[in-house]
Amino acid sequence: MKALCWTGVNEVAVEEVPDPRILNRQDVIVRVTASSTCGSDLHLLDGYVPTMMAGDVIGHEFLGEVVETGPDVRDRRVGERVVVCSIIGCGRCRNCRAEMWSLCDNSNPDPGFLETLNGHATAGIFGYSHAMGGFAGSHAEYVRVPYGDVNAFPVPEGVPDASAVFASDAVPTGWMGADIAGIRPGDVVAVWGCGGVGQMAARAAFLLGAERVIAIDRFPERLEMTSRHTGAETLDYEKVDVLDALKEMTGGRGPDVCIEAVGMEGHGTGAQYAYDRVKQAVRLQTDRGLPLRQAIHACRKGGTVSVLGVYLGFVDKFPMGAVMNKGLTLRSGQQHGQRYIPMLLERMARGEVDASHLLTHPMALDDAPRGYEMFKNKEDGCVRAVFTP
Amino acid sequence: MVAKKSLGLAALAAGGAIAAGYRRRKAVRPGPAEWFAVTVDCDPGELSGENRPDALGRLAEHHEVRITPAPGGRGTEIAVHAADGKAREQVRALKQFLETGEVLRVEGQPEGHRTVLGRAAIPVSRQLMRRGVR
Ligand SMILES: NC(=O)c1ccc[n+]([C@@H]2O[C@H](COP(=O)([O-])OP(=O)(O)OC[C@H]3O[C@@H](n4cnc5c(N)ncnc54)[C@H](O)[C@@H]3O)[C@@H](O)[C@H]2O)c1
Ligand SMILES: [Zn+2]
Ligand SMILES: [Zn+2]
Repeated sequence: MKALCWTGVNEVAVEEVPDPRILNRQDVIVRVTASSTCGSDLHLLDGYVPTMMAGDVIGHEFLGEVVETGPDVRDRRVGERVVVCSIIGCGRCRNCRAEMWSLCDNSNPDPGFLETLNGHATAGIFGYSHAMGGFAGSHAEYVRVPYGDVNAFPVPEGVPDASAVFASDAVPTGWMGADIAGIRPGDVVAVWGCGGVGQMAARAAFLLGAERVIAIDRFPERLEMTSRHTGAETLDYEKVDVLDALKEMTGGRGPDVCIEAVGMEGHGTGAQYAYDRVKQAVRLQTDRGLPLRQAIHACRKGGTVSVLGVYLGFVDKFPMGAVMNKGLTLRSGQQHGQRYIPMLLERMARGEVDASHLLTHPMALDDAPRGYEMFKNKEDGCVRAVFTP
Repeated sequence: MVAKKSLGLAALAAGGAIAAGYRRRKAVRPGPAEWFAVTVDCDPGELSGENRPDALGRLAEHHEVRITPAPGGRGTEIAVHAADGKAREQVRALKQFLETGEVLRVEGQPEGHRTVLGRAAIPVSRQLMRRGVR
């Protein structure tokens, strides 16, 4: 079959690879009908996630049809249209049973690297390096899904593919960011990053009761899209001083909840940004964290900072003083998608959540290298390029 | 050519991070702990007497094994004394098997063209990550 492989830093190529097989009794094989680019892939492309190997199939946000089921699969059926959670859970360990699926103990068979780096390992993730289990990704004609019963979700009939595909990753991630922040009615929520994840966090914040949502980015078309589809107010961080603007907009208090949806390659202005870039390039820090620092700085006393952007190791100049002296709560995590996907698909079916506007660039899998280039450089208003094999 | 160079870099960076983590650990801890432990979401009774899984029996032939109930009803702690890499791999596999009924496989999945270096490095790094550095 055809698949998109990582071949080196900032290089991907469509290659002919063997078809996936059932390797475990609870596996299902899905024929992919839509597979999306995600901001997380940029961290792979740019070479900030070690343990990538040339020849790895990437892609983790996808939708398809079940074509084969292992002998111990009980609920999934051949022919079902399913969306698959980007992060793999086993459904049986204590963390999965407590609905903290991305903390699954069993879905990452090779946890050693992350255990050394972070103390404990994350769950397995499709197409996301050997540290995250080394699972072949979804930018391919077929993909093998472990523990098919708990990771693949049938999509209700009325929900179009263009929206359902994002129920794999961007939508539950955004929802989780708002959910774990414990938003209360009347809250003011600020969101850094207007990619798919930030936009879905903004939408979720409103649905969970926020009175005002302020979204921050620098790309005019993303800011405009966010305000049109989520109702958030927007700030262009290249035009205004974000910290000043947020204070002014919140009567000096600061936002009750700050959601960071940018990640370890945060862009910025000024000296701190230059400092971060240099240190990350020579690997004195693994992650650069300007928007994260800003979120902590901006947050009201006693507020919550919810970090969705992916970090892998260490950030410099982490403002622990602000966390401590302002009594902040820090929440974070890779997404616990399985906790939210059925509810989100229901909301999609009822028209309360729609993510289809994120799909700015439908493309053939053959054009995926070009798609990644556009997505990375935010060319032509690209928010998510989605490939169809 | 560019790809090969960058692959080398990525592998180096990975190695560097492992080594750095290892050094850091050594600096705060005088030596590796004597027991390698995991918590399994099952009743201690499921691991002893005639219920004892074969894999646990095999581990116990070569290592001292300690089975204790985890606090707060969190299942059972299995600790293995002087566990080498192979034993650690077996303990992890045992937990997976007890909890999910199978041991997850990643070998044999689709993959694109591997470089000569990559082909040689993958099994080695996989084994290192499966067992963990201690
Ligand atoms: N926690 C999870 O499970 C999970 C799941 C999916 C994605 N993610 C992560 O979420 C992050 C966002 O993903 P995405 O798909 O929306 O990516 P994206 O690249 O489409 O969007 C990121 C946005 O952040 C903006 N940005 C950069 N620097 C900024 C700054 N200083 N202030 C404000 N905005 C800034 C960029 O302009 C861009 O629009 C990534 O780090 C990704 O890895 C996490
Ligand atoms: Zn993602
Ligand atoms: Zn689990």
